[in-house]
Amino acid sequence: MAQRSKEGHYLMLFIIGLAGWLVPGGGHLVLRMNRHAVVIFITIAVTFAIGLYIGSVGVINPVGAKPWYVAQIMNTPAVAALGQMTKTEEYAVYGRPNEIGQIYTSIAGLLNLLCIVNAVYLAHLRGTESAAP
Amino acid sequence: MPFIATTILANFTVPERITVDPKSILLLLPLVAAIAVVYKATKIPTIKPAHFLKESAILFGSIVIFMAVTALVLCVFAWIVTE
Repeated sequence: MAQRSKEGHYLMLFIIGLAGWLVPGGGHLVLRMNRHAVVIFITIAVTFAIGLYIGSVGVINPVGAKPWYVAQIMNTPAVAALGQMTKTEEYAVYGRPNEIGQIYTSIAGLLNLLCIVNAVYLAHLRGTESAAP
Repeated sequence: MPFIATTILANFTVPERITVDPKSILLLLPLVAAIAVVYKATKIPTIKPAHFLKESAILFGSIVIFMAVTALVLCVFAWIVTE
């Protein structure tokens, strides 16, 4: 019985992490921290959108800028779809707008990673507190 | 409506024109604001608008002031070395 509850706990942590990755703030939403979720979603989505607006959608470049792409994909799996779209390099991107756009989109991704880790940690704390006698 | 949507989407397919001048440093501010807001959202247990804005503003100011002081120190150091 104890083994099953431990498995359930890890499954819950996984679901919360996945929710946070699918939609920024999703992990906090699952934890019923609605205000946190809204603030996180709006801030990360706006930061990511500013990056795309400044540098164009071409800043997501899974071929020529892999390290940046790894940080960008932390935003949401939808970035992978954008990456497939921009793989053909038909979208103009160059110079300083490219740098600024990459910085914005990558920082947005890393901020989402911070939120995912935070949501999983909070869920873990709740799980261990409720399990304590 | 489709025209508006197409215009908005088209803005995301062409890079903005950004010159290399001191004004471009201002692009730092929205990023610092985003970092301050998200960091505080992960740290504060319950979000009350006034308290949350105050905390975020304090962190935003701290980061900007620290970066300004760092830039000043580096400028003075560069000036001393090159003189």
